Amino acid sequence: MKRFADALFQTAYLSLVTLFVAFSVIPVVVAVVLSFDARGFVGPFPPTQFSLRWYDRFLADSYYHDGLVTSLVLATSATFIATVVGALAAIGLHHATFRGKGLIQAALLSPLVIPNVVLGFGVLIFASRLGILDGMTRLMMGHVLITFPYVMRTTAASLVGIRASYYEAALSLGAKPLGALWQVTLPLARTGIIAGAVFGFVTSFDDVGVSLFLTDAFTFTLPVAILAQMRANLDLTIAALSVMFIVATVLIIVILDRVAGLDAITGRGVYGR
Amino acid sequence: MIQSVLDLQHVTKRFGDTAAVDNVTFEVARGEIVALLGPSGCGKTTTLRMIAGFEQPDEGRIFISGVDVARKAPYERNVGLVFQDYALFPHMSVAQNIAFGMKNRGVPARDIAPRIARVLEQVRLPGIEGRRPSQLSGGQQQRVALARALVTRPDVMLLDEPLSNLDAKLRLELRHEIRAILATFDCTSIIVTHDQEEAMGLADRIVLMNKGRIEQVDTPVGLYQRPQTLFAADFIGHANWISGTLARRAAEAGVVETKVGGIAVAPGAVADGPVTLCIRPERLAIVAADAPADTRLAAVVERLDPVGADLRIWSRLGDGTLVQSLEKNVGRALPAPGVGVTLGFKVADCIVLPADGAAR
Repeated sequence: MKRFADALFQTAYLSLVTLFVAFSVIPVVVAVVLSFDARGFVGPFPPTQFSLRWYDRFLADSYYHDGLVTSLVLATSATFIATVVGALAAIGLHHATFRGKGLIQAALLSPLVIPNVVLGFGVLIFASRLGILDGMTRLMMGHVLITFPYVMRTTAASLVGIRASYYEAALSLGAKPLGALWQVTLPLARTGIIAGAVFGFVTSFDDVGVSLFLTDAFTFTLPVAILAQMRANLDLTIAALSVMFIVATVLIIVILDRVAGLDAITGRGVYGR
Repeated sequence: MIQSVLDLQHVTKRFGDTAAVDNVTFEVARGEIVALLGPSGCGKTTTLRMIAGFEQPDEGRIFISGVDVARKAPYERNVGLVFQDYALFPHMSVAQNIAFGMKNRGVPARDIAPRIARVLEQVRLPGIEGRRPSQLSGGQQQRVALARALVTRPDVMLLDEPLSNLDAKLRLELRHEIRAILATFDCTSIIVTHDQEEAMGLADRIVLMNKGRIEQVDTPVGLYQRPQTLFAADFIGHANWISGTLARRAAEAGVVETKVGGIAVAPGAVADGPVTLCIRPERLAIVAADAPADTRLAAVVERLDPVGADLRIWSRLGDGTLVQSLEKNVGRALPAPGVGVTLGFKVADCIVLPADGAAR
């Protein structure tokens, strides 16, 4: 009886896992297959003929092209600023002992929980009050805001794992506080900082909510372009785009794994090897 | 007069209302190895951190080579520190770890490599420059940590629980090793430990601390044989306790009235009144009823514990006090539990201590 219950439970468990995996993989598979569809309209699945026409369409479309360039420039520079600011904030707060430290921490991390729509609207109002009407500047403000909490979070997490004695050992060996930070703390927190930067980059590249409020007629990000295009005329260029997104993501992961080790990126193995 | 390299004067450190270190004063001479010994929370680690510069004393002064460093930052003092967890930088090789202090203290670049090679030879780990700390055993990490601290030729070396992270057998080996290495460098050293054997084996002198205060400063042998407080006698080694009242009959010797009769004691500085007598187990022996001994006490054997080379014999005195004596396990006939015996000891082996709470 007990064995039967056990087997039943195991079957149920396996089915659930299988279902979940299928649920997350099937849409990706559908998108990949459809992106090679030769038909000129969104027809029933599976396609009857295959071609690269949607890829051609994407590459030829200057609207997408502009969006991609904006997104890459924006994600790269916003991530850069967010990494510097976020890592410094995390280190500062890690060493701080003053009252109200928790409050500052919560405030700095709040963009993680505040809806992007609210953030986007807020930045829009704030920027116009400051007289900033340029789309790129506005976007940069918004994107730094949504990316730096990631860097701060992951850096803080890796700092907790670094023994206090490393910093103190550096001081006792004659290093000044800044030198100890630069030579010891930062290299040891490196994996956390890189992980935060990667998360931040992806968040920025992927963002619609904040960007929607901050784009102007000439400066728009790729996701915003996709959204606009989808409303205007839904075709399979979006599927082709999705595949390229997937390939890019896989590439980033592979490169990261080669450079830093995926274990390290996800926060483990800081001391192991 | 011997010049003291390290000199603490009335150093006090409070955390909130409690004094972690309370009016601590001691000196360390050049080349001397001193152990700060005490139970956890006795203030020894806080004292070490103040010498290193990680904490600042609320009161008192700390001199290193004649300079008051109490308000100076860690990097402004020439102090070498070996952490309990060694704190070798995991992202650097052994060579980079050892070079760290030299670079930050401005040693010319061309001198660094030869000095690394030399110091690694001195800690008997030649040729491991390229390894990572994680590739070393605990004992090797310990010696690299020593090398890293010693290579900048610090005025004072501080070692925080240097052997606590190692297994028992390695601990014994490394104890001699550390002593030899420190002697090679002729380095004035402070060793913080809660392990009396470690303190005894490594130090020339021991500063025994309790509740932030110094209980006694003495050589290892002196601390064991001439403890001045109940705490000191209790913390170091094993002891039998008999309480009573001291009354001096003559100027020199005295008698302590106890529940098991009068016990003669040698002259000493302890005032008349309530006292506690301390007799070390190895100085207490089962004797023949008519054998010569200064003091004799009747007892009943309760239990025999074999402890390797020795036998620990627990006996109960007339008033119910349980006492232990140590016999060499050399095949002699031993009393069985329940048998009445006579315990004897010499006047000189009976240490008189002021009873707890009594004025010294």
